Amino acid sequence: MSIKTSRRTFVRRSAAAAAGIFVVPSIIPSSALGLRGRIAPSNRVIMGAIGTGSQGMSNMNDFLKLKDAVRFVAVCDVDAVRLMKAKARVDAANKATDCRTYDDFREFLEKERLDAVSIALPDHWHGIIYAETANKKLNVYGEKPICRTIKDGQTIVAAVKKNNIIWQTGCWQRSQAHFRRGAELAINGRAGKIKLIEVGLPDGGRGIGTPPVMDVPPELNWEMWLGPAPKVPYRGVCHWNWRWMLDYSGGQMTDWAGHHIDIGIWGAGLEYTGPVEISGKGVYPPEGIYDAPVEYDFTCKYANGIEMRICNASRLKMGMGTTWYGDLGWIHTDRGNRLTASDPKILEEVIGENEIHLYKSENHWLNFIESVRTGAPNIAPIEPAYRAISAGLLGEIAMTTGETIRWDPEKEEIIDNPRASRLLSRPYRKPWDLPTV
Amino acid sequence: MLVALMTACTNTDKIKTLIITGQGEDNLVWTQAVQSILDASELFSTKIVTTPPEGQDMSQFNPDFSKYDLVVIDYEGDAWLEKSVASLKEFVENGGGVVRVHSKSQAGSPVPSSVSFSERHNFEVRTRITDHPVTNGLPVRWLHPEDVIVQGMDFSADGIQVLATAFSDTAYAGSGKPEPVLLANNSGKGRVFTTFLGTPDLDKNEALECAGFIVTLQRGAEWAATGAVTQDVPFDFPTAAGAVLRTGFKSVNPDEAFENMCSYEIGESTLYFSWLQSEIRRASGNAETLLNLEKKMVEVLKNSKSTVDAKKLILKELSWMGSEYCIPAVKELSSVTDIKDEVDFTLERLQ
Repeated sequence: MSIKTSRRTFVRRSAAAAAGIFVVPSIIPSSALGLRGRIAPSNRVIMGAIGTGSQGMSNMNDFLKLKDAVRFVAVCDVDAVRLMKAKARVDAANKATDCRTYDDFREFLEKERLDAVSIALPDHWHGIIYAETANKKLNVYGEKPICRTIKDGQTIVAAVKKNNIIWQTGCWQRSQAHFRRGAELAINGRAGKIKLIEVGLPDGGRGIGTPPVMDVPPELNWEMWLGPAPKVPYRGVCHWNWRWMLDYSGGQMTDWAGHHIDIGIWGAGLEYTGPVEISGKGVYPPEGIYDAPVEYDFTCKYANGIEMRICNASRLKMGMGTTWYGDLGWIHTDRGNRLTASDPKILEEVIGENEIHLYKSENHWLNFIESVRTGAPNIAPIEPAYRAISAGLLGEIAMTTGETIRWDPEKEEIIDNPRASRLLSRPYRKPWDLPTV
Repeated sequence: MLVALMTACTNTDKIKTLIITGQGEDNLVWTQAVQSILDASELFSTKIVTTPPEGQDMSQFNPDFSKYDLVVIDYEGDAWLEKSVASLKEFVENGGGVVRVHSKSQAGSPVPSSVSFSERHNFEVRTRITDHPVTNGLPVRWLHPEDVIVQGMDFSADGIQVLATAFSDTAYAGSGKPEPVLLANNSGKGRVFTTFLGTPDLDKNEALECAGFIVTLQRGAEWAATGAVTQDVPFDFPTAAGAVLRTGFKSVNPDEAFENMCSYEIGESTLYFSWLQSEIRRASGNAETLLNLEKKMVEVLKNSKSTVDAKKLILKELSWMGSEYCIPAVKELSSVTDIKDEVDFTLERLQ
């Protein structure tokens, strides 16, 4: 057993031991436990990163801002240019030259002994790499949306639970005070009994037409980038813009499902269940390489009668963000510290001692590090992330088929619709397959 | 259902439409385009009438509007006689429909001097009212190519609904604010639909060939004549992702679509496959229609002229919407190396 492995085991064991003596209340700031700043090098959380594109680097930079709480030691990417930039960033932070680099996540997972891995990949890779990382018992900070298909999501949730790893989703809005405050007001009935949640997400953008087949840039391992997705020739679309293509993503909708749907279900007490009926329509580009819906409007009905309407923001009076409509008023929240209500007095409301207090995190990345170090729960566990994106993915199935979908949120099955049920998973291109959990 | 409806349509069932033209410099091209667009919907029987030339005696121009369901005014020039204007007004008050096309159409009134025009450019249209029969189901944002935005028209009349606007960019001599491009208003028992899209250009008629212009004109005309719209929003309505042009003002027909699919090569337009996907959605829950589509898709798989890329896209759809019917045809492709992945994928899902 390597020294690093024993260190990681130590972190988890000491957390478990602490939990045995007293339950760590989440409201005690980590600084009180001696976790913020001035951390002995031996107690640093040792991390690696898989996926070092824009979001991967953004996350890494947010972790590096925690200074001596974290040390990155290894990075992995299929793009050699990005990989070298990531190494340079890590080496600069470490004032060293020894950041290890990998172009294949399998080798990374085989060789690296880490406390945690930060993963930011195109959605079509999430199922395999999240589950494989969990199977290696490595803690994961994973980007949303956590899966491309419902089956991917189920596999990931099972892998995280079975391996008992610390998981935190990159839905950082949860760690912003106004989103939490809005959700807490909503869940405590300050707008009355919630009837409707409206979720406004970005409209789709301009297309690029139908680009021709072209040479793969020398730094890019295109075959590995495609991985389990259908084999197609390179046409100049890869980093970032994979988002607009259904082989890799569900477009703006699934991207943002992980944010504003997540906040919506958090503030309505729906983060551990799913809808029972889903219907709606998408607007698809009539042609071009970008084939994800550019507009969408669908409704998820939950068993308790709450409806959640999810659509591109241009269709909503409130625009972007999450609005909870109750029988007494509404509460709206969005990025840019936006928190408004039908009556400003709602925003002044005090949440009583015996009411629901949502988990509080003030720094999303630090919250993950503390969770890894203490074993305590964090702000963004796996199941709510799965429930948020599965609402979006069921909406995608309703839009693709043109049908009203009935869903059993307990069994997690589509009811009585074999055609739609086929869309719950995507066969993987060989040799790739979802790992066994 | 629409197909059945159209087949049953005889000339007498169609919306009797009078198109008035005259005096504008591009009016002939324009009027013929408007007529072609209305005819393409198969809902209208159209007749064009031309006013006397500029400066001539307008007293000869006194159509009997009451013989029609719809009057389309494509006219700029001398003022009509008062009694013609009054007759048109009476036609609308009694339940007739009017469509005003062309940027300067004022239903027989002179164009106000306050009106100005942007330079020709591509711009985005915003659907502002989504529950009006004309715009119900349209994308909220869609691109419109190479057209002029009309600025400064007076829309103060009671009951005018601005169905859609376009932001008129100052970079193209625009007003720097959103300008109405589609309008609707009820008047008495009748209705008036106005479009400011589609200003003709003799060199390049993209503004007229835009599926967004065509479809809103067809829908607006049906609404003006009947108060309702029976036409589905077509799959090729433009979106924020890009403009869509219709050659000859016509949308895709099924035979043409399946024929064109066979020769698809990656890097070419996926228009016909988008059409297929939309037909599959439209057929949802209708086993017979789905099977008919599946049979046509299997024909593409079996067609010796079909490309590998075409077969891949067909297999992608069959993988979820196919029935047992397609399985033998899919299995027959197992030996083709280039599509082995797609065949495996399809069979894994279907079986």
